[in-house]
Amino acid sequence: MKEVKLFLGPQHPGMHGNYSVHMYVDGDIIKKARPTPGFLHRGFEKLMERRLWMGNLALIPRICVVEPDINEMVYAQGIETLANVEVPEKAHWIRMLILEMARLAIHIMGLGGIGGPTGMYTITYWAIAQRDLILDLFEEITGARVYHMYIVPGGVRKQLPVGILDKVSKLLDELDVKIPEYKELALKHPIIHKRIKDNIMLPADVVWELGVTGIGMRSAIGKEYDLRKVQPYARYDQVEFDVPIANYSDGLTRMNTKYKEIFQSIRILRQVIEKMPKEGEVRTRVSTGSALRWTVPAGMVYSAIESSRGEYGYFIVSDGKEMPYRIAVRGASFPQGLLGIEKYLVGHRIDDASLWMDTMGVCSPEIDR
Amino acid sequence: MMNSMNNIIKQIDDVLTITNSEIITNRQFAIDINSGDVHQSLAYLKSIGFTQLSILTCIDLIANNEFQLIYILNNWELGLFVIVRTIIPRDNPAFVTIINIFPGAKYYEREVHEFFGVTFEGNDSYSKPLLLEIWDDIPPLRKDFDPQVYSDSKFPKRDLDKIYRSKIGGVD
Repeated sequence: MKEVKLFLGPQHPGMHGNYSVHMYVDGDIIKKARPTPGFLHRGFEKLMERRLWMGNLALIPRICVVEPDINEMVYAQGIETLANVEVPEKAHWIRMLILEMARLAIHIMGLGGIGGPTGMYTITYWAIAQRDLILDLFEEITGARVYHMYIVPGGVRKQLPVGILDKVSKLLDELDVKIPEYKELALKHPIIHKRIKDNIMLPADVVWELGVTGIGMRSAIGKEYDLRKVQPYARYDQVEFDVPIANYSDGLTRMNTKYKEIFQSIRILRQVIEKMPKEGEVRTRVSTGSALRWTVPAGMVYSAIESSRGEYGYFIVSDGKEMPYRIAVRGASFPQGLLGIEKYLVGHRIDDASLWMDTMGVCSPEIDR
Repeated sequence: MMNSMNNIIKQIDDVLTITNSEIITNRQFAIDINSGDVHQSLAYLKSIGFTQLSILTCIDLIANNEFQLIYILNNWELGLFVIVRTIIPRDNPAFVTIINIFPGAKYYEREVHEFFGVTFEGNDSYSKPLLLEIWDDIPPLRKDFDPQVYSDSKFPKRDLDKIYRSKIGGVD
């Protein structure tokens, strides 16, 4: 049988963003797969070396389009470690509010994303609409819907608007009612079961081989390897939450884990609203003088947090000048998006490729940078 | 936490030849290792629980005419990061791959090859560029690559009435 070369993406309803997989297929079965990133390479790491420490804030959220706040957090956290700055108590809680709201937004969008490759678009429309309600709150807090530039070195940019916590509470109550409907619609649906149950497996040894983190890892090895638990940052050590785990990672388990994490985020957000200090500063100065002359003491640090797709980190090197010397980005989906596709897509059917991308949470902008 | 980290550093120091160690935060430390010892050091660190390669990257230390290779490993059980650093020469930079120890390093090495020009013996998938298509200049993340000069040479110049520029740290 002759092999045929097939291009999946960058323009394809099942493809996540500007990414492409070149597949050599025999009938329906993939014989060889080559990930082809680079459509979104914008040279962020070089650009960051040529921008001021403060100026980079406008740049970095764009590294991951759907979950931009993690970039601001790792960047701010790294600079605070280098400059030895203590962040005000209230700012920690506001940061958690932002990060968990962002996690809710991307998890809901991720649940809806399963509609693309399976052809069940209803859940996609629901999810996009639901995410927009979260973006409305972001707009009220930060002034922007997608790229917030709100978490800055030294704290957060400004105080929360009056009455916003009530609005967040109201949204959480709505989500509590609405999200179980997603389960009824999609995660219990026989067609979706047919496509992702016992399919696109991620065994535990493959997790370690590739370096997969996040939901993929936790649903395969059954351990609570979540950086919010293992290395608590902000005030994650002062809130109670569970880390959903499993010992069998097929596509459906990963979606179910994602579904459970939504409720844990809601639980964290309720505690944040309750425990957040009512008064207090939200920002301290990282350096003296105008932002054009800010310097960060020389040194290097790896700053990492738990994103919706796993460990997300910046390796920051400063030489004590006004601009970073080097910043390297660890995209959370780098392992499963490149080596994972090359090695473990082989033997699957053509239509499983986009399900792999979806249930693994491959994010092309953070692979390309 | 600090205690267990000090114990780990001591344990590593007893077994490996470390030229320098540095505590960065209470959950993160860095060790400097001669380039000849990197593979056995990484294999040892993997055996004591640092089972995940978080990132492999490179720093261009142009003032010393050196590259610094960075391997960041994560120990999920203890919640510790270790940054393993080694120096290689900047002229004809070459090193040996670590994909036998951490298979996930394959694409990180390809990326370092593309952006810094370091070749990794044993990792031979370089026939096609990963991110940069039809690139015809020196590797772009090296410090002597100037994007402004490159862009001026590639694209037509626009005549602007006025160019706004701010003074940064006394330098225009």
